[in-house]
Amino acid sequence: MPTDVERWKSEVYGNEIREHLLEFAEQGWDSIPEDERDAWFERFKWWGLYHQRNGQESYFMMRIGTPNGVLTPGQTEVVAEVADEYARGPAENPIFGNGYVDWTTRQSIQLHWIKLEDIPEIFDKLESVGLSTQQACGDSWRNIVGCPVAGKDKHEHVDALPVAMELNETFKGNDDHSNLPRKWKVSITGCREGCGQGDINDLALEPATKEIDGEETRGFNIRIGGGLSRNEPRFARDIDVFVTPEQAAEVSGAISALFRDNGDRDNRYNARIKFLMDEWGAEKFRDVLQEEYVDFELETAGDDLRSEYSYNSGYADGGHSDHVGIHEQADGNYYVGLDVLVGRMGVDDTKELARVADEYGSGEIRITQRQNVIITDVPEEKLDALQDEELLDHYSPDPHPFMRGSIACTGTEFCSLSIVETKNRQVRYARWLKENVELPAGVEDFHIHLSGCTASCAQPQIADISLRGMKTRKDGEPVEALDIGLGGGLGENPNFAEWVTQRVPVDEVPGAIKNLLANFEERREGDETFREFVARTDEEDLAELVEPEETSYEDPMMHNTKRTWYPYADDDSLDASPAPTRADGTPITSDD
Amino acid sequence: MYDDTDTHSQMPDRILKVNAYTTLDLVDASATGQEFEESAFAVCNVTSPRKHPDEITLELELDWTQLDALAPHADTLTLSPEEARKLAADLEKHADRVEAEQRD
Repeated sequence: MPTDVERWKSEVYGNEIREHLLEFAEQGWDSIPEDERDAWFERFKWWGLYHQRNGQESYFMMRIGTPNGVLTPGQTEVVAEVADEYARGPAENPIFGNGYVDWTTRQSIQLHWIKLEDIPEIFDKLESVGLSTQQACGDSWRNIVGCPVAGKDKHEHVDALPVAMELNETFKGNDDHSNLPRKWKVSITGCREGCGQGDINDLALEPATKEIDGEETRGFNIRIGGGLSRNEPRFARDIDVFVTPEQAAEVSGAISALFRDNGDRDNRYNARIKFLMDEWGAEKFRDVLQEEYVDFELETAGDDLRSEYSYNSGYADGGHSDHVGIHEQADGNYYVGLDVLVGRMGVDDTKELARVADEYGSGEIRITQRQNVIITDVPEEKLDALQDEELLDHYSPDPHPFMRGSIACTGTEFCSLSIVETKNRQVRYARWLKENVELPAGVEDFHIHLSGCTASCAQPQIADISLRGMKTRKDGEPVEALDIGLGGGLGENPNFAEWVTQRVPVDEVPGAIKNLLANFEERREGDETFREFVARTDEEDLAELVEPEETSYEDPMMHNTKRTWYPYADDDSLDASPAPTRADGTPITSDD
Repeated sequence: MYDDTDTHSQMPDRILKVNAYTTLDLVDASATGQEFEESAFAVCNVTSPRKHPDEITLELELDWTQLDALAPHADTLTLSPEEARKLAADLEKHADRVEAEQRD
């Protein structure tokens, strides 16, 4: 007997979910039978919809998949319009207002407070400009990630963008690959910096060169089985396969089929391909792939570029650690990467972003895996005027390191899994740190990632400082707290953060970071980076260097935010929730 | 060339996952032996398999950063429905006693 989810999937899954979704939308929230809600919510994910958490019934998060983070001219404006019209909830966020767009760590877009009844209109608007929510969530090919400046980057080894788009077109809505044992995260990059973050994806295609028939051929090496979730982080493993850009889709499909047929459908916690890789090892994986799924002889791996990887590496070795700033493109134009603190942008700012991109660039926007956005194709003579735009005062191409390095997941504001507040807290942390903490000389990249639970959506294990939601007791009261990890990062030799301290009360975390950085500066050898310092320091010593402490930072959300219907509502108690509501937002009472 | 190196983190991470569905993300716990006595915050979770559930598990993990004598670990009780109900009934009974005392 399969799991509940597998049973639901065997009944209705994939493309056909859409017609049911549209029918429910037509008839309203109440038309979903109460005892079928879990099944339908699971299925809706395939079309990019997550039901929001307890206390927010009838509201959905909508994820729009933008392959490789590319928003073509005209699309950003539509995203802003949809957010303006449909992503407004019954209460306001004190920092971001009501109506905002989240740029995500998988180069996608998330909107909140979406009503079921509005979905047909939203789909129409999105699809009119080629945007889609299809397979943005669920057990299938998720949004494909890659270097966000693919095709623009001056130094890239291969332009992987056409391959990313081919993968997207081949595997979105493809019935042979629409029902996998679990989510399927794919990264493809041709750049020299490692911007694709392939190491933390189920399937990674990374730039390489291989001599084939006496000719130097540029293409990709393949790695399999990365992922951060479930307290079982893994880096993807080299399976000793090289593919040309022309072979990439065929071999990727073969690997996806191998996963479809061999992944664990009996236990969702053991279903990701990383666990199959644990079981088989890279050699058996390659053998099965070759013998049962590919019709031609696979090449062995080519020479990779991993020694050059700088992205999110925590090492000062040239290259870049993110895409913030002004950089020349291969065609002589420039791309301008803007820092969006925790990835959230109000609808008015998003409209401005679309206007500015149109006025100074080609109108294209690219989303990065660090929750930031890039305006591309800006001619050199327009750079000064672009920098004078007010938008860039708030979303800077040259931000303070604490603003630049912050990533946060959705948190208890909307998410069913999280146990602490995240986005607003990370904004408060970054602002306080900027005002109160000096970074040691020369430290320009310093990444702090805050995740609300062990699901690791903010990718906490690959940051200089990793923060993960917990609870503790302070002055006799339960309060939100964070586990603290140190020294994670990617690059040539990626490593996960060392979790050194558990349950630090949230109001003592900024003090802990301040003290930690002071201790780092005192003990620093030469110009070593924080990650290097952590790597050479004993674990017990590291724990002592953290030193949590109360400071001038005050946290207004110490209490148990998951027990509220919405943490920022005037009356936040679950009883005060207006949900579920009708399409117009009026509460549906039990008398209805 | 295969890259089969062990990629696990060097220092222990939490063994139990912790999210909003975890039964208790903050509970006082202690561990006592002949030659040690340790107190720590702990995570306690009750669950059953998603695939044809046939048993109940009660898991307990003390925060490893608060342990000296014990290695980081999680303990698991595997319960039949009957045992789980017996445990639940005793927990209820004693909860009633403590609450009654608190009301007095």
